[in-house]
Amino acid sequence: MRTKLTLIALLLTLSCALPFSARANRDGFSDVVKAIEQFYHVKHQSIPFLARTGMKAMRTAAKIKGGEWKRLAEAGSVRVVFFEDQSFDSHGQIASFKASVQRTLGADWSALVQTLSPKDEQQTHIFIREVGQKFNVLVVEIERRDATVVQATVKPEVLAELLKDPGEMGKSLTDEATTADP
Amino acid sequence: MKTLFRTLLGTAPIMLLLVLGSVMSARAQNAKLQLDQLDALANRASNTVDVKLDEHLMQTTLKWLGKDHDDAELRDLLKSVKGIYVKSFSFDKENEYSPVEVESVTSQLRSSGWNKIVGITSKKEGENVDVYLMQLGDQISGLAILCVNPKELTVVNIVGPIDLEKLSQLEGSFGVPDLDLVKPKTKKDNDK
Repeated sequence: MRTKLTLIALLLTLSCALPFSARANRDGFSDVVKAIEQFYHVKHQSIPFLARTGMKAMRTAAKIKGGEWKRLAEAGSVRVVFFEDQSFDSHGQIASFKASVQRTLGADWSALVQTLSPKDEQQTHIFIREVGQKFNVLVVEIERRDATVVQATVKPEVLAELLKDPGEMGKSLTDEATTADP
Repeated sequence: MKTLFRTLLGTAPIMLLLVLGSVMSARAQNAKLQLDQLDALANRASNTVDVKLDEHLMQTTLKWLGKDHDDAELRDLLKSVKGIYVKSFSFDKENEYSPVEVESVTSQLRSSGWNKIVGITSKKEGENVDVYLMQLGDQISGLAILCVNPKELTVVNIVGPIDLEKLSQLEGSFGVPDLDLVKPKTKKDNDK
């Protein structure tokens, strides 16, 4: 009887602890990539693209706004995933995808800017999360045949500059993370 | 009993301030319009822009704005703002959205606290722009701009005090679309 009770108590503890552990391990970047894959039935490409862009992101200096900023993202903080030459057709449900991205990310992330053009299947979603003294910026860019997900850590002063033109923010960060070095 | 009464009397002003503070904060919160019901329009719109800048994000980053004149003016303009929310839908054809969707916004603006300002118009041809203010005494606690056209529906909602004279500085920044808002010239302006 005592063993049974102990076992029940153990199972109860585990069942309570597991969701918390899952929450703690929640990673907005991977969650969004999964959400895109599930909604559009596509697969992301991480190698060798990730290696190439990741290395590039670490060593490049952003030349945005005529070189006004030395670096947009903190060194080594950029994560990139590509979806290339696949079909991104929302079948008239682009608003549902927007809502599903927000649901996936949960309350940790705040939606800052979301732009949608269903006719061209173009979307940009920018989410922000505070991490200590800095911010994580997550940019999802989807077009008819390609998509990019970029997550970068930025200093508040960089975020302040980006916020002045939130519409351009996604482009700036994605360009920095994905433009090949000369 | 007497001591208790004296203590209560002593703390009364603080309690009153706390209550007033919470009421003011609640009023400022009320200036935030509920706009999520418009999200379904994104499926029909040719272009949708949705911007949400909440107080925490604004106030955390504002102090990091640059030191040039424009940045200093922006910082000054937004120092007390508690949020900027924009939803804008453009359509290829006319009448792709229903009056019910517009009514879901205007009904909130008809509620107590909001007043339509006459006089502020848009220089852009064909733009039908209404500007609403929520005031708490002399202070503005919220602003709403509603742009309703056959091919466009835009709602801009600024929560917190904002200087109307400097509102145009915000156009094109922080997600606020360029609406070319103009105040009519007063006699004083004409005399200058």
